Amino acid sequence: MPYSAEISRTNPSCFIFLIDQSGSMVEPISGGEGKRKCDVVSDSINRLLHNLIIKCARGEGIRDFYELAVIGYGAQVAPGFSGPLAGRDIVPLSEVANNPARVEERIKELDDGAGGVIQQKTKFPVWFEPVAKGTTPMGGALDLAHHLLSGWCQQRNYSYPPIVINISDGEATDFGPEPQAEALTSLHTSDGNVLLLNIHISGENLTPIVFPDNDEDLPDEFARTLFQVSSELPPGMRELAKNEQLELNEGARGFAFNADMIELIRFLDIGTRSSTMR
Amino acid sequence: MEATVQVFWTPKKGNTPDEYEDAYGCAVEDGRYAIADGATESSFAEIWSTILTQKFIATPPVGSPPESQTLQDWIAPMQQEWHANIMWDRLPWFAEEKARKGAFATFLGMEFMEDEEEDDGVMDKLLFMFKKQKTSGPRWKALTIGDSNLYQIREDQLITSWPLTKGIQFTHRPTLISSNPKCNDGIWDHFQYQVGEYEEGDTFILATDAIAKWFLDRVELGEKPWHTLAQLKSEQDFETLCSELRSGLKMQNDDTTIISITWEESPDDE
Repeated sequence: MPYSAEISRTNPSCFIFLIDQSGSMVEPISGGEGKRKCDVVSDSINRLLHNLIIKCARGEGIRDFYELAVIGYGAQVAPGFSGPLAGRDIVPLSEVANNPARVEERIKELDDGAGGVIQQKTKFPVWFEPVAKGTTPMGGALDLAHHLLSGWCQQRNYSYPPIVINISDGEATDFGPEPQAEALTSLHTSDGNVLLLNIHISGENLTPIVFPDNDEDLPDEFARTLFQVSSELPPGMRELAKNEQLELNEGARGFAFNADMIELIRFLDIGTRSSTMR
Repeated sequence: MEATVQVFWTPKKGNTPDEYEDAYGCAVEDGRYAIADGATESSFAEIWSTILTQKFIATPPVGSPPESQTLQDWIAPMQQEWHANIMWDRLPWFAEEKARKGAFATFLGMEFMEDEEEDDGVMDKLLFMFKKQKTSGPRWKALTIGDSNLYQIREDQLITSWPLTKGIQFTHRPTLISSNPKCNDGIWDHFQYQVGEYEEGDTFILATDAIAKWFLDRVELGEKPWHTLAQLKSEQDFETLCSELRSGLKMQNDDTTIISITWEESPDDE
């Protein structure tokens, strides 16, 4: 059965985040109380990396169940890590954990591990900074993901297939994204094809459409294109979505349109939580 | 009677022995045995499962069954011991944050009483009276939380399967006891307690979830998996068996532990 491989250090999986860094990302996101789209997206990615690291932490170290890359696309298409990992593409999770660009400190109440609560400084690591400049070369970003994953899939043939999550607020301004998306999702391991999930974030107060199984309710050609290039959710991910009280049908695709801040975070959570990691 | 005891354990395939997070404890002279399955999703689970088993075989909780408050008082020093075992100052940010969430484990402990040396529970008496069984003579009692399981075999028949009785009852979400007191709200009622009697020739098997599930799956197919386990002579035999069961998808790839206790005639028996 596809999409059932156990994720382990011998057979890790991979996430690639494609982040729209075009000029329009300075505009406020729907439901974000005036926050800029680029700030909400970078916060979400940093929080996601943080959660993934905690999930894979054991004892004093990290188990490399995942490798990951962050690709920004705007004025250029390039790896998006800041700090010590700047310029790096696919990086094992343990290296990500040990090399944030900076660590913010905040006061937070925490369990003391022995029944009490202590107030202490907690660390908020940052790997990815907000950027908003240039156009929307989505096709180029998908091309780069294809380039990175074609080698990866050959080397990791027994792994759970890579998951690519593309976050954008607008239409591709280059030559895409259908042929590049098709090439990307034709890559595969023995456990299934690369999954491409697309999140369109919106500044307008519109009802989000999340995990649709058809394009009937989608308003325009751009939305229908993104739907068409989004992968069908594997059963495990569909179950996770149902557990989040989302209504979705057989054939639901990894696609959200007009996502507000809440939907963005929920979508990322479902897209990156695998039930097969042990 | 005297007990012949065998313990077999092997880490999950792909993990090293020092990443084994189950634990077992045997105090043969005192007739106490325990196993625990540290949850692999948590950090320092191997320390927690070891503390639970060692504490039980040294000083099990009093009461038959132990009351909720007794269990909480019994667990509390173990939580402090777990906390004291971690070098908090040396942990990187992610390891500290993970450890503060606490470690988690299932637990199963049992105690044999050859004669009526201990009878501190009204419940025991009532149960035995109800069953019209003798209130003296060899008895056992067991305490558990989660999905580690106990089997009793007599005259080549499975006469006890506890607390789970069907393979389908094993899930990925057993109830776990945590080293973090804040995570144990509402779990005290999930501790289960059982008593029974035993006699010469009986075999008891304590098993963590993966092999416990395999055992019940085979029973449901009309097989006698205790025959397979009885043939094990060495750790190597056990590793070979686990490897075959895992690759044949008959057993989940997980840390795997069993304690086998067989009561046999003692040279001192009259």
